[in-house]
Amino acid sequence: MQVFKAMFKVMRSRLPSAMIYIVCFVVISAIIANASTNDNKFEAKRLDICIFDEDDTPESHALAELIKKNNDIVEIEDDKDTVTDALYYRRIDYALIINKGYADKIRAGESADFFSSYHLDESFSVVYMGQFLDEYVATVKAYLNMGKSFDEAAVSAEEALSQNAEVNMLSRIDKGGNSHFSVDFAGYFQYMPYILISIIISVVSLVLVTMNRKDIRFRTNCSCLKESKYTAQLFIGSFVFVFIIWLVFMIFGAILNREMYTGRAWLAVLNSFIFAMVVGTMAVLVASFEPKDNILNLITQVLGLGMSFFCGIFIPVDVLSDGVLSVARFLPAYWYVKANNMIADITPYSLDEVVECYLIQIGFAAAMVIITLLVRKVKYSGAAISTAVKKKAVSQ
Amino acid sequence: MFMHILKYELKNGLRTKDLIIWLILFPIILGTCFKIAFGSIYEKTEKFSSIPVAIVDDGENAPFRQVVEGIESADEPFLKATFTDKAKAEKMLDDGDVEGIIFTADKLSLTVKEKGLKETMLKAFIEQYSVREKIAVDAISTAPEKAQEIIASLTSDTADSCREIPLSQGNPDPYAQYFYNLIAMVAMFGCITGVHITIQNQADLSPLGARNNCSPVPKSISITACLTGSYIMQTVCMLICVTFLAFVLKIDFGDRLWLVYPSAVLGGIVGVSFGFFVGSIARVSDKAKVAILMSISMVMCFCSGLMMGNMKAVIASTIPWFNNINPAAVISDCFYCLNIYEDYDRFISKLITMAVISAVFVVLGFVTSRRKKYASI
Repeated sequence: MQVFKAMFKVMRSRLPSAMIYIVCFVVISAIIANASTNDNKFEAKRLDICIFDEDDTPESHALAELIKKNNDIVEIEDDKDTVTDALYYRRIDYALIINKGYADKIRAGESADFFSSYHLDESFSVVYMGQFLDEYVATVKAYLNMGKSFDEAAVSAEEALSQNAEVNMLSRIDKGGNSHFSVDFAGYFQYMPYILISIIISVVSLVLVTMNRKDIRFRTNCSCLKESKYTAQLFIGSFVFVFIIWLVFMIFGAILNREMYTGRAWLAVLNSFIFAMVVGTMAVLVASFEPKDNILNLITQVLGLGMSFFCGIFIPVDVLSDGVLSVARFLPAYWYVKANNMIADITPYSLDEVVECYLIQIGFAAAMVIITLLVRKVKYSGAAISTAVKKKAVSQ
Repeated sequence: MFMHILKYELKNGLRTKDLIIWLILFPIILGTCFKIAFGSIYEKTEKFSSIPVAIVDDGENAPFRQVVEGIESADEPFLKATFTDKAKAEKMLDDGDVEGIIFTADKLSLTVKEKGLKETMLKAFIEQYSVREKIAVDAISTAPEKAQEIIASLTSDTADSCREIPLSQGNPDPYAQYFYNLIAMVAMFGCITGVHITIQNQADLSPLGARNNCSPVPKSISITACLTGSYIMQTVCMLICVTFLAFVLKIDFGDRLWLVYPSAVLGGIVGVSFGFFVGSIARVSDKAKVAILMSISMVMCFCSGLMMGNMKAVIASTIPWFNNINPAAVISDCFYCLNIYEDYDRFISKLITMAVISAVFVVLGFVTSRRKKYASI
């Protein structure tokens, strides 16, 4: 097992950079896991709103109080640049100005120019608040028309507007209930491919390239070690590394989930195992082209970031355009994410389709192995070596 | 001599693969990824468009149907309704074709899949319907003689109570700032070019440095020539990056693209100067220098929002002064100002900040690399 041992010695030199990836991933996952909620009850979205009350009357205060009930009030400086920044970076969703003279106008029954709002774009929040304000004014005016005083009208309007409609969540969606694999926990598995690709390709490929360096390879070739044994040890070494990395993630996953995997969660575990193996074969393939160190870094980034963005790892699949998705089908991560979404009940679950995704991923792995064998055959065949020797002879 | 060193500096730069990979290829790949990821997210999730909704009309609620049809006939309708039965509606909701299902049987109710703003708007919509009902009931009980008029005014009175004050003509897509930060990242990566200047001129770091040190050229001239060469190369990289983003990926930089170029170039100069300065203060090996620089510039880019879009806003509310001295934030702010602000005040102040930062770095770099002589290595 000399080759095997040597592999792990080389791997050790790459461990620090792999550790950085692992630590970052686990810390971020831990933060996300803590912030998640597990209930399946509808809650209205609270907007972040800032109110500049130029009127400053009991009437405008009543409105501000009503807005405060369903939204969060953010205090920011009344300065155009500050408001623009806050709106652009989504620190606030809406900037409302209650115009001077609001109270007098609404008492007089006028119909426009009560409010102003700083407007950056026509977003959903803007439409929503616009509708709310129109509704409030119309309601108050209706009660004033009934002959009520403003205070009574404001109270009645508030009462009318605080009716609560019945909202149900679609019953299929099960947040951490019977499936034992909550949507929040699925996030942990969702981001894992990026980390797996980054670590496995950068480490395994580097080790294989190093072991394959000309002088080392020539030395190994003239030893009494059989070629098949040498290849087998390289293979076992890579497999063990991939397995250890995967196992580390599974252990952290169980810790973050605060319980052992049960039920459907095992399907996700299996999914990630298959994907880790796919990435392993990918690393072997990359290594067979013998890239230089800096090129290898680039390949790792391209594969990691590319698959993450194309296949819906960093952002949900449903915001990707159809063109992107049709390309993504040719990448293994797409099938990983698809299976993961089904297991987590984000898309309708069907065991057959999940198994289908597994098989497609295994197909990718098989294809990668075949291409690797082909590349190696072409590269190290007698013909290839003799042309290389001839070329060298000519150049000398 | 200046021209001679400059020529070789440029030749050297062209043959450095790291430079081409990190300053040209990597931004192109990351930019393409960003485009795929953020290209349609704003249009799809934040910009207002009609909310698709399924309506299950068991009880034949004719007035409600009328209201919905009234809304749909508007120019920019709030709802896009499909009348269907329960099973189909649930299938549509599950597949994501609609945002919610409204059941009209005796009392209006809503079924949704997520807890977002669109769902909240649907909830508000059906509540609005019952608010009007309540008003009508109250009107009939308190002022029956005016009831007709009040109810009529509720439906006809559609005057906008709110006047919008436009803030900017620019591109309001907040995801564009990822591309601003991408340019800032390329600029900050210029520090790798910058640190090469020190490596090439410091005798204990490279054989080339040792050779340069025993040549009779004054250090000031050789460093100035190297610095000029690095500026030129970085400028080319910045131009490629901006051109790629603006013309290949078609990122909307607002209507002042011709000003984006010089800002990006100035940003690149900040990056190179930063690398030159850090390279000349730290007496560590060249690998360690590159590692230090890369991590510092990544942290700066993180604080400016390369990884999380609202990072700059978070920092603005906790430690606002940091955004004014963090080079990555200043560079990306430049593009933000060009896009959003009509006037040039803030843009110019950012440019001045960049110029001052690079001047400080260059001067400090020269001061610290002075008089580093070696009797033997």
